[in-house]
Amino acid sequence: MSAQAVKMKKKSSWSVASVIGLLFLLLFTVICIAPFVYMVIMSFTQSTTLMITMKEVHFTDFTNFKYVFGNSGFFRSLMNSLIVVGCSCFFNCVIASMAAYGFEKKQFPGKEALFKVYIATQMIPGQVTMIPVFIIMKKMGMLNTYFALIVLIINAFGVFLIRQFMESVPDELLEAAKVDGCPEYKIFLQIVIPLIKPVLISLVVFTFVTSWNDFLWPLVSTTDSDMYTLTVALSLLKTQYQTNYGLVLAGATVSFMFPFVLYVFLQRQFVEGIALSGIKG
Amino acid sequence: MTRKKKEALQGIIYILPSLILILSFCIIPIIMSGYFSFTSYNIMTPPKFIGLENYAKVFKDSYVVDAAKNTLKYVVITVPIQTFLSLTFAAFLAYKMQNKAGGAMRSIMFIPVIASAVTAGTIWRIILNTDGGLLNNILGVLHIGPVNWLGSTSTALISICIVAIWKNVGYFLVIYYAGIMGIPKDLYEAARVDGATTLQQFFRITLPMLKPITYLVVTLGLIWSFQVFDLSYLMTGGGPGRATVTLVMGIYNAAFKQYKMGYACAMAMLLLVIVIVINAVENLFFKEKKEAR
Repeated sequence: MSAQAVKMKKKSSWSVASVIGLLFLLLFTVICIAPFVYMVIMSFTQSTTLMITMKEVHFTDFTNFKYVFGNSGFFRSLMNSLIVVGCSCFFNCVIASMAAYGFEKKQFPGKEALFKVYIATQMIPGQVTMIPVFIIMKKMGMLNTYFALIVLIINAFGVFLIRQFMESVPDELLEAAKVDGCPEYKIFLQIVIPLIKPVLISLVVFTFVTSWNDFLWPLVSTTDSDMYTLTVALSLLKTQYQTNYGLVLAGATVSFMFPFVLYVFLQRQFVEGIALSGIKG
Repeated sequence: MTRKKKEALQGIIYILPSLILILSFCIIPIIMSGYFSFTSYNIMTPPKFIGLENYAKVFKDSYVVDAAKNTLKYVVITVPIQTFLSLTFAAFLAYKMQNKAGGAMRSIMFIPVIASAVTAGTIWRIILNTDGGLLNNILGVLHIGPVNWLGSTSTALISICIVAIWKNVGYFLVIYYAGIMGIPKDLYEAARVDGATTLQQFFRITLPMLKPITYLVVTLGLIWSFQVFDLSYLMTGGGPGRATVTLVMGIYNAAFKQYKMGYACAMAMLLLVIVIVINAVENLFFKEKKEAR
């Protein structure tokens, strides 16, 4: 046993209580993952009852997935979600980093008061603004548009997140560029943006998940089935094919895969995004 | 133009796009919502001012009262349990399992967080199915049930709470874990030298040091829980009867099923008041804490 291992052993003694704790932790871990494993397994079955054995699971049989993708409505919803999420991420990054730069690196009267208003708006639940926004969109004829779906995703959170990060961008650097005669828009695009890349990735991850998983607003603002997002389509799949469990879970699997793959690759950014949003208090 | 003025102008231009959006889709709507709450409005005809009538009706509406009761029950069950679980799991992982296995567990526990409520609701509805649902199958082996989880008034709301807890623990665990890692190590060293047990260290060091984080976790938990909609909409649709209708479901139905916009806005304003009160209480605690330091 190496010296380090001895030290480790001394440091953490495994009492009966710890073992029980570990078992609880293991149990909870299993409960966290099991429903998703079940979802994927079930999506490979053709059955109208849930009483199935593993013999009825055929991992080479993609019938449910073919049906889900062949079902033009569902495929269209998938595309809608991708478009909405893509645009949300892009515009949120652009608008929020511009605002954060304005707040952090420019001086103008009333700046901090305005920033406080921005932060206060984060507290307001979406359900409170939803009804007037619905009415505004209806009057403008903007219901059932990508604009309506995208615009509500953009809020003060991104501004707050990026501003915190932008403190670390040295003022001297921007000053030096200005002295060298670098035009203002170039300072922003070519100096500031590359420096805040890490926080932009966190914001993209955050926006992706928020937008992809958004349900109530798409449910309310889309009445035309061509404009449904994936969450709305999935909720309808569930009512249309009540007992075709394999099919419904194939739909759920598809909708889960996108954020899941992103999570697998950008795990650190997910966690950091949360840690950052957590410190906002 | 002086340099100062130029800079101010630039600053305003940078902020302008976000300001327009926040004004049009957050601040103005709040004012509109406040105004509509004093009117009778069905979108088709212009809003008619009716004073406090909507608010008077809200408190007498048995549907809203049931919704408020359910929401409160949901909050009271969900928030303490998810806070307790995320804290104990985070502490255990930080004390005993700062290794690959612990890291894997943290990663797995976060998976329910990234799934949408729609995905989670869809899966759990099937798992909780009375006939042949996975949970009843497992309980059947132990000769329990079958339980009609989502179809009976006594278990439907609890089932939704359990799914919500399952979905939220991973999120708060990440916050707590980061918090525990931020506690200076020498505090523990000193405690160990003085012969403090792990449990004593937890209650004397970890818990007090995590106070601000606990405020945050509880505040976020409360605010989210008062806004519960997706899970209950998907898993039970509010049923059986009114067993799982929630405040937001009440807003949704009033506004988008019955087109009683004024009435729905009154409910929404009440939700806003609840959220503001929660935040105010948190700030109060925070201030106290800062002054005590």
